[in-house]
Amino acid sequence: MLIPVLIGMSIITFSIVHAIPGSPAKAILGERATPEAMERLEENMGLNDPLYIQYFRYVGNLLQGDLGTSVQTGRPVAEEILPYLTATFELALCAMLIAIFFGVNLGILSAWRQNTSVDYLSMVIALIGVSMPVFWLGLMEQWIFAQELDWLPSNGRMDPRMFFEPITNFYLLDALIQGNLYALQDAFRHMLLPAIALGTIPMAIIARMTRSSMLEVLRSDYIRTARAKGVREGLIIYKHALKNAFIPIITVFGLQMGLLLGGAILTETIFSWPGVGRYLYDAIHARDYAVVQSGILIVATIFVIINLIVDLLYAWIDPRIQYGKE
Amino acid sequence: MVRPLLEISRFKMYFHTDKGVVKAVDDVDLTVNEGEVVGLVGESGCGKSVTSLSVMGLVPRPPGRVEGGSIRLADRELTHLKGREWRKIRGNVVSMIFQEPMTSLNPVFTIGDQIVEAIRQHRKLDKKAARRLAADSLQEVGISRKGILEEYPHQLSGGMRQRVMIAMAMVCRPKLLIADEPTTALDVTIQAQILDLMRRLNRETGTAILMITHDLGVVAEMCDRVVVMYAGQVVEEADVNTLFNQPRHPYTQGLLQSIPRLGQRAERLYSIPGNVPNPKQMPTGCRFAPRCEYAMNICRTEEPGLFAIGDGQNSRCWLHVDKKEEADRDPTTTTS
Ligand SMILES: Nc1ncnc2c1ncn2[C@@H]1O[C@H](COP(=O)(O)OP(=O)(O)OP(=O)(O)O)[C@@H](O)[C@H]1O
Ligand SMILES: [Mg+2]
Repeated sequence: MLIPVLIGMSIITFSIVHAIPGSPAKAILGERATPEAMERLEENMGLNDPLYIQYFRYVGNLLQGDLGTSVQTGRPVAEEILPYLTATFELALCAMLIAIFFGVNLGILSAWRQNTSVDYLSMVIALIGVSMPVFWLGLMEQWIFAQELDWLPSNGRMDPRMFFEPITNFYLLDALIQGNLYALQDAFRHMLLPAIALGTIPMAIIARMTRSSMLEVLRSDYIRTARAKGVREGLIIYKHALKNAFIPIITVFGLQMGLLLGGAILTETIFSWPGVGRYLYDAIHARDYAVVQSGILIVATIFVIINLIVDLLYAWIDPRIQYGKE
Repeated sequence: MVRPLLEISRFKMYFHTDKGVVKAVDDVDLTVNEGEVVGLVGESGCGKSVTSLSVMGLVPRPPGRVEGGSIRLADRELTHLKGREWRKIRGNVVSMIFQEPMTSLNPVFTIGDQIVEAIRQHRKLDKKAARRLAADSLQEVGISRKGILEEYPHQLSGGMRQRVMIAMAMVCRPKLLIADEPTTALDVTIQAQILDLMRRLNRETGTAILMITHDLGVVAEMCDRVVVMYAGQVVEEADVNTLFNQPRHPYTQGLLQSIPRLGQRAERLYSIPGNVPNPKQMPTGCRFAPRCEYAMNICRTEEPGLFAIGDGQNSRCWLHVDKKEEADRDPTTTTS
């Protein structure tokens, strides 16, 4: 399943990139380059070969772990993209954690107190949450919490004056490993606004999904059985009901994680977050084919991997699903 | 010798819904003695399940509300209990099994986990001891296959699941087991096995059983005593032989006549004329009067009490009251 998807993906990214008008040679050499110089460069880059040869060369290189070389910096993409990738990942992960934690609990609260003011309030919050575009929320946050109140920083991952040497490039994790509490606090403060901006929509969607899923589960016979055994209400909700309610919620997680990667690009632009979104954005402007191609392919691969993880999660939670045994 | 275990008296549970008040249980008296098997029968919607769920404290409130009366279990009043006190009783002093074995077990936990949870809720046992006890309890209900503790509900048949439910309900040795139509969803041979099992557990452990059913065959096979409900009230109560041989309430007589007998042709099968009254608009007077072939004037104006008519038999019917007395008699005081 994974392999055909990836092959398709590589063809699509390759075609899109080559369909974009504009010559990379021109982008490198500038508007006033001589036609001869451009000709020579294009020849060197293999841009004059037939498209299918370019494609096979591209795939061949991919298989060797070579994602191409950035035309702008002359460095291999595989190496260059890594810190950007982890920055995006850290942001997306934090946003997802916020979305899951608040979304699930808000949904549980609503379901548990169905048709009370608590329920209505939570669902109004969720409705507002889904209706707010990421960029608008991001800008409002910056305006209120960074500019007006001056509580939190509005740009980047860390104060540049901070003495900090990243290891894995997950700043929160690195700061924790190094026991550098100042850096941890600073990384956390930088993370807060973009993660909230990015996590709000999935939070709201997860809250709604959790509510409806929990309502259904709470009415089921096995919940009555658990009550008849004398199980505490807290355990009934968080153990007996939630594990069942999670089955449909997981689907939403998977879809949201995909949307989150998309939303990350907007968020990164607003908060000057040095992630893949920014990296690709710059590459597109510079017509850096190799970077754009590989960047999109990597994002697509991550998307496929997330879906794979979601499938595995299903099987882990629901014993009725067994892959490969049917 | 005979000591009452469960005493429900004049108990009322109403549902306050948007469309009006549903008097689901309205003045129910019911006693289960220690070690006894009592059948609770009646047409669909007459309040059997609500009565039994009230004993477990499992009626959703709201919309349900206790409107009066008391439920005493092992000399303890239940109607005022709070959450924590309820949890100490449920699964421990009184357990319940349900009609739908297919959906009554949690699909995402193993059988072992679910029984162990019931044990550790009420007994201070470590995990290992609890698992051993869980295996023993399964053995007791006739499941001895290896690895059953690790299996999930979807791997078992309906009959097996009902056995697991029984094992789980019995594992803390409750004084009372409430079984709400435990065999309705099962096919006939499995039904008989489950009934045998329950009867055996009753004899071996002394756990009393309140058996809810609308199958009078089940009652005849299982029960010592029978309580007949109609429209939220108890209309007749008697030991099982008396009830089958001398039913006194016209409704009970109708129920017994509607049992198909061997050799009787299907189209001649008797059924009580009319319909169950709407629980939101109960008729004044006797609730069965509109369908009763013996209905008298008083039946349509005054509600009869549950009259003791000897030999532990009670019946809620004006026919049993001496006509001369009835005018100056307050029917409710004659409740036994
Ligand atoms: N949660 C509830 N809200 C409102 N009404 C309810 C609720 N639960 C039960 N009732 C009503 O209470 C009445 C008695 O229901 P109950 O389930 O006790 O009937 P039953 O005798 O068990 O019937 P059956 O044989 O079909 O199981 C019915 O009229 C039902 O509609
Ligand atoms: Mg019922």
